[in-house]
Amino acid sequence: MGSHQMKTQDTQSAKPSVSLAEETEARLSDIRQADLLVGIPSYNNADTIGHVVRAVSAGLAKYFPEQRAVLVNSDGGSSDGTTEVVARSIVDYGALLISDQQSRLQKIITPYHGIPGKGSAFRTIFEIARRLDAKACAVVDSDLRSITPEWIELLLRPVLDEHYDYVAPYYLRHKYDGTITNSIVYPLTRALYGQRIRQPIGGDFGFSGRLAEHYLDQHVWESDVARFGIDIWMTTEAIASGARVCQSFLGAKIHNPKDPSADLAAMLMQVLGALFALMEEHHEVWLARNDSVPVKIFGFQYEVGVEPVHVNVERMIHAFRQGMDDLAPIWEQMLGREIVAELSPLRATSPVEFRIPDDLWVRVVYEAAVAYHGRVMPREHLLKALTPLYLGRTATFVLETQGLTSAEAERRVEQLCLAFEERKSYLVDRWSGRPRS
Amino acid sequence: MQDFFDKALLAPLEHLGRQVLAILPNVLAMAIIIGVGFAMAWALGHAVERLLRVVRLDHLCDRLGVNAALGRGGVKSDPSQIVGRITYWAVALFAMIAGLGALNLKPINQFAQSLLAYIPHVLVAAVILIAGYLLSNFISQGVLIAAVNAGLPPARLIASLSRWGVRLFALAMALEELGIAASVVIVGFGITFGGIVFAACLAFGLGAKDLAKDYLERTLLGRGRDRSPDDLRHM
Repeated sequence: MGSHQMKTQDTQSAKPSVSLAEETEARLSDIRQADLLVGIPSYNNADTIGHVVRAVSAGLAKYFPEQRAVLVNSDGGSSDGTTEVVARSIVDYGALLISDQQSRLQKIITPYHGIPGKGSAFRTIFEIARRLDAKACAVVDSDLRSITPEWIELLLRPVLDEHYDYVAPYYLRHKYDGTITNSIVYPLTRALYGQRIRQPIGGDFGFSGRLAEHYLDQHVWESDVARFGIDIWMTTEAIASGARVCQSFLGAKIHNPKDPSADLAAMLMQVLGALFALMEEHHEVWLARNDSVPVKIFGFQYEVGVEPVHVNVERMIHAFRQGMDDLAPIWEQMLGREIVAELSPLRATSPVEFRIPDDLWVRVVYEAAVAYHGRVMPREHLLKALTPLYLGRTATFVLETQGLTSAEAERRVEQLCLAFEERKSYLVDRWSGRPRS
Repeated sequence: MQDFFDKALLAPLEHLGRQVLAILPNVLAMAIIIGVGFAMAWALGHAVERLLRVVRLDHLCDRLGVNAALGRGGVKSDPSQIVGRITYWAVALFAMIAGLGALNLKPINQFAQSLLAYIPHVLVAAVILIAGYLLSNFISQGVLIAAVNAGLPPARLIASLSRWGVRLFALAMALEELGIAASVVIVGFGITFGGIVFAACLAFGLGAKDLAKDYLERTLLGRGRDRSPDDLRHM
């Protein structure tokens, strides 16, 4: 991380920026200092968090036996006994052939304050990391079913030994798993900030104590970005602040399906809203970038079979066509008449031949970002009106990659990323107020 | 003969002359007030129009869809010009009322007072109408997008109903504020709104009872048709 952006680490004199519960303060006084910290945000995850706590405990004991480590559960007021499960979860170290653990893992189970959401949970974790002067930290989701002790090493070791500031996860996923990431978040983040981080909103990250302190100093904790877009914010903030970033291969990510995904429009609004808001905040950084560079991946990469995914392409195409019929005036207002005219023939195309080309999709996303920036309509309306377009593009991706392996589908994502990069000058021109070319 | 001439002809003329002389300063004052008032109205209207152009009101109205609505209504002037003209006529009207007041005639004074007392109601009614118009556009756009994302086929119909519902409500409030047939407006609005809700209930209950059953089963019992026809994960 560039020293000009860093605050001098002075945890002794730094005033607490987040109020903590009395019990938590007492625990911090007892523990005083830690080398490693792993945070687990939770809210009613009693079914799954026990496995996550055991994996974290085993990982810390197995790979960092000599380090003083703390596990922090930042809970949002669970009513299903999540915190009790965290307190009860213990690991049979003998069964895992771990015998040389020299310091006992400390657990801090704390409620978080502030607006409800993952952002406030992270803020509490960062504050505890600052108070304990932790060198390397990680956060993992509480609903993970596929986490293993190796994840902890892969998220912490690059920070501890290789002096990276930020470790993004690199998962094996089904080609139709994470389609918002594949069609928007990854290509856009890569084209904007020039770092090829494959899972910018992965949810499981490693980071240095210095970066945690930098995060705490940002004024986003009361905003929607912290509430809904904390994952993309952490990644973007790390890149934009000049932090050293890398990735760690974690294998497959299997977690509980999130119920809010039933409302795709709300989810899209949260992710894109955070992405576009960050574009406004860091425009000086991304306007100056023209290309992208690979980001180092740690860990042993392997292929693994992933569960098949059933996709209803006709339903997605139908949603796009209804959007074309009913939302065309709104799309014209936010994207321009030319783009809507190019989309218009898709109304009558047969489902087999339905395609939104890469270049057109790139311009849709860029125009949406410019419209968001220019406030051409209420932002919530703008973001939600993109849902049928996104479904149309997802249908295109599914149709194009039917019968392809995951590696072949990945090459298709790579092509889209290149299209985003090639068209970046279009975005720069439009952002600067120049008319569409 | 001379006496008749003096009493019958000169006296009324003299009386009229005295009356004219008595009222002449008031007429002169009225002319000055109205003249200056119109000049001020012109200057103020012009200044307001220029100011609104500087703060880019037209651009804002364009984004809010006001310009398009004005165009649909056959209004070719832009919002800055319209507000400037309204300012001009408001000040001119005020000047005319003040000018007429200078005549100091009882019926005109009473008329002027009642007109002045009515102006706040007109302003409040105008604000209600403008706010109702903007709100109806905002709500109908949100409803349209939500209905399309929910896959409801009559999305535009639902959005139109919401738009005109809000406008009708605003119109009823504005008319009530103006005191125009207040009881008729309230009763009319109540009957219309109640009728729409009742018709919608009947239509949904009779025409879409399977849909209602399916929706309630899915919402309350968590069963019925699968919520997600595919298991593609977007995040």
